[in-house]
This record gives sequence, structure tokens and C-alpha cells, in this order.
Amino acid sequence: MKSFSIWQRGMVAALAVGVAAIGFPAQATDPHGLEPEESDIVTIETPKPDWFYVRAGWGIDGTAIYDGRSGKMIGIVNSSQLSDMAIDPAGRFYYVSESIWSKGNRGARQDMVTVYDSKTLKLLTEITIPDRILVDERKQNFILSDDGKWGYVYSFSPASAVNVVDLTKRKFVQAIELPGCAALIPNPGVGFSALCSDGTMATVAAPTGKAEITHSAPFFAASDDPIFENFAYDPAKNMAVFLTYTGLVYTAKMGAAPTISQPYSLQEAAGYAPATTKPLSVGWYPGSRQPTAYHAASGELFILMHMGEYWSHKAFGDEIWVLDVASRKVVRRIALKEPAAHIEVSQGADPLIFLNDEKSAGLILDAKTGEEKHRIEMAGAGVISAAPGL
Amino acid sequence: MKIFDTDAIGEKWLRKLAGHTSRRSMVSRLGLALVAAPAFPLLPVSRAEAAKPDRSPEAKTAFARNAQSSDDTECNYWRYCAIDGALCSCCGGGIHSCPAGSEPSPVSWVGTCINPDNGKAYLIAYRDCCGKPTCNQCFCDNTDRQTQIYTPQLNNDIIWCFGTQSMQYHCSTAVLVGGAE
Repeated sequence: MKSFSIWQRGMVAALAVGVAAIGFPAQATDPHGLEPEESDIVTIETPKPDWFYVRAGWGIDGTAIYDGRSGKMIGIVNSSQLSDMAIDPAGRFYYVSESIWSKGNRGARQDMVTVYDSKTLKLLTEITIPDRILVDERKQNFILSDDGKWGYVYSFSPASAVNVVDLTKRKFVQAIELPGCAALIPNPGVGFSALCSDGTMATVAAPTGKAEITHSAPFFAASDDPIFENFAYDPAKNMAVFLTYTGLVYTAKMGAAPTISQPYSLQEAAGYAPATTKPLSVGWYPGSRQPTAYHAASGELFILMHMGEYWSHKAFGDEIWVLDVASRKVVRRIALKEPAAHIEVSQGADPLIFLNDEKSAGLILDAKTGEEKHRIEMAGAGVISAAPGL
Repeated sequence: MKIFDTDAIGEKWLRKLAGHTSRRSMVSRLGLALVAAPAFPLLPVSRAEAAKPDRSPEAKTAFARNAQSSDDTECNYWRYCAIDGALCSCCGGGIHSCPAGSEPSPVSWVGTCINPDNGKAYLIAYRDCCGKPTCNQCFCDNTDRQTQIYTPQLNNDIIWCFGTQSMQYHCSTAVLVGGAE
């Protein structure tokens, strides 16, 4: 007997379904009330104060959006490996700074800022830029101006520069050479600033035009006690909050000539002796991939801490210390069941903490009580962002 | 406490520059001349520091105290004091060899690591091998004197596949450049 191949059987089955559909038009006669359906596409809301954005992690595409209140996924923003995402302050767009190659892992390199509609998550356009840094786990390599009109993309080729992008006209404007500096800081009304290897802060005024660069006096030890790049920025106070490997806290009032405070010790703010750079000096140190998160309305800085020695700055956090930046006091400590690699806090009135590790285990806590709200498997293993305080 | 001096940083850059530039170029000649410069007694302070490198356990980092010199497929091998990535030694390559079909980056980040056999510090160039998918073997992330991107030559997070056919990261090597003291 001649037997049918799998392909032939499949074709017959498909035709049978088609004939059945023609012979028996859709009717609402199913005894269980199940109606025939059509495929459609969800439209989501613009960013909400409880939303978090979690990069999938090393070697994986995508940035997942989670509602921190429900713990549910809202959708995924397309973002290629080693990309950076920024959120339009008005909530209309998601911008992804990324690099792709014409033949996948080879061919012509293409660098761009890709623009997505925040409701449909559909691609709107691509803005070509000349270059950008390839690195993971950073939030300060792509920032926007406070009005959302300009994008600043850090480039390292390996010369340091910043690409200025006009997000209204959706055009690249110019590249500004910024030797020895990185980690971009918003500076509304001026342009942007950056931290530098000589311990200064560089400020770039009029970055869309003449781009005049000035430097502060040296204020931190860039090689001996560096400032973590994933620092915090408070838009209402126009203030940046920095933390060093040993736990020194600096604040900087941004402006044409930023005013940088004298530092104080995070450990001292918790009742301990200040941490040092000396070997064999075991104590609480800040660390992990994304060690700090800042809740602007309360002025509280959430810091992942671990016990260790100096130069353990990538160790995951076993506790969260909550620092009241203004009063210089650690007001709460939250012990974690599992060490965390990244921390972010939502900007609403009842803030939530989002944590994850490098195995993608996500955890949402009440930021005031530390109470566990949700666990999310495979939440994403990369850097976390919170929706801006809309 | 000052752990790392600027002389050492400058020397690292110049050694790297000298090692990867055409011998006939002016840049190379200038680089070689400057690499030699730290050998000359310029400042009494520098001489004093160089004469007394503290290699006591109390002066060593946690990594240096626990480093070994026999197995370069383990994260605690002494040269890996500031490496981040997959060890090429576990990926078909070696401590200074890229696996077949991949290509070493001509530039790199650097570390200063202490050899437990003689207690001396050496300059290590962590050159990425590029042009193949990430080798998912022997991932290490050691952080002695590892800083942030504003000091890029001491940052081990950057994809250092510059000047190669492909910028795809494959694995990392730890090439001995020379003594650091």
C-alpha cells in the first residue's frame, strides 16, 4: 500500500480544515459559548509610575516592561544586545541606542537611535549616528535633555565622544569629543555633564552648537576610589547623587558650573566606621552591577551592600541600605534572601523596589517596608530602569 | 590610601602603544622613548616608592592572597586579577592565544597582578578575542583596581574588539606585557 508522507498528510489535514470552514460558517452555537476569534494586537498605555523596564541581559535581546504593582509583564521593547534605552519625558516614545551589523555577526556596522511608539511599541524611525560604545549594564551612556528634545549618546571608538541627536527633527547633529570623560549627567538649561578620569566633572554647554567644555576642580579619586557610573539624578532638585566604591556620598547641584558637596561616609551614616581602601579591612561596601536607585520625592537612596574588602565593587548585594541623602542617615536596612545584581525604585508616592540577579530572577518589594510583593521568574538579568515621575 | 600611582597608568598605556605600533613610525619611537623614561630616576619620591613594594599579605588584595600559578583555566589564576569574561584557555585558545578563527583585539584594558611565585607585580593586557559568539566557558569577573568607563584602560566591561574584522566578543586572554615595578 502506498503510504502518505508526513507533508502530504499535513496538507490533507489543512485542506480538511479549510473545507470544514467553508461548509460550516461560524456560528454562535457552541454549547460552551466559545466564539470564533480573530487575531489582533494589544495597545498599551503610556509609561506609568509603577512600571519597570528590565533588560534581558548579556547576549539576549529585548527590554521587558513590568507593572510593579501587579508583577505582570506589559510588553517588550525591541532592544538589541548591548543597547541602551531612554524614555521620552512626555511618555510618547521609547528610544533605543543600539548597534547592529548587516550580516548579523559581521558586515557593515550600523549605529542608530531607534524610535518606538510607547503605545503600540512599533518602530517609528531610525536615526543614524556615527558610533557608540559597546558595553552592557549602564544607564549613563544614553540620556535625554529634560524637555526630551535632545539625546546624548556616549561613544568610545576608542576615543571618547558624545553624539548629539535632535529628537524632534530626528537627525544626528554633531559629535563632541570629550577625552577622558564618560558617564553622562543631565544638566538642564546648560547641556550635559560627565565624570572624568582626572577626578573632575566636565560640563558641555550648548552641545547643539558651539559645545563649550569646562571642568570642575578635581573632587574624587577616579582610580583609587571611583564613583559608580550608575548614579542617581534628581530632576526636581537638579541634583546628581554619587557614590564611590568605599561609600563616599557626593551631591552635585547641576548648572553651568556645578557645585559639588563635600563627601560623607555611607557607613558612618549607618553608625559604622568609614570604609577604607586597605586590604584585609572587612566591612560593608556598596557594590553590584547597578548598586544604587534613587526615589526623588523622598530623597532616599537605595544601595545594594555586601560584606567584603575593597575592590569587591561588583559583588552582589545582601542588604539594601536606605540613605536619607539630605539628613545623611541610613534610615532603613532591608536584608535580602538572595543576593541582588541590580536595583531600581519606582517614582510614585508608594515606591516599589525591583531587584534581579544574573539568573533573571526578579523580585519586587515594598520600598518602605521591604515586604515581598512579587517574584518573577525569568524577569531579565540586565540593568533596570523605572518610568520617570510622570 | 593611595593604591595606584599615575606613573603606572601612563606606563601601561605607553607599553601598549609601543607594542602595537609599527617600528618605523614616529609614534612608536616616541612611545618607546617614553616607556623607558620611568626607568630613569626622575624624582626621589618615585624612587622611594619603587624601592619598597609592599608584598606582605596585609598589603595584598583578597584576590592576590588567594591567587595560584598552576592552572590558567581557573578564575583565581594570578594573571586574571582584573579579567571579565570567558577565559580563552577554556575555549580552545590559551593564556595569550585566541581560539581558532577568532582575532585578538590590538587594544585592551590592563591590570597589574602579583605573581605568587616571586611576589612581583606584572602588567597584564586583557586582549579580547573577537569574531565568534561568546564562549560560554569559564566566566570570570575579577576586579582588582578595576574602575569605571571614564578610566577606560582600567575598565573590564567594555567590549574591546576595536580594529578587528568583527566586534563580536568571543573570549578574553591575559597577555603578560612586563614587570610593573
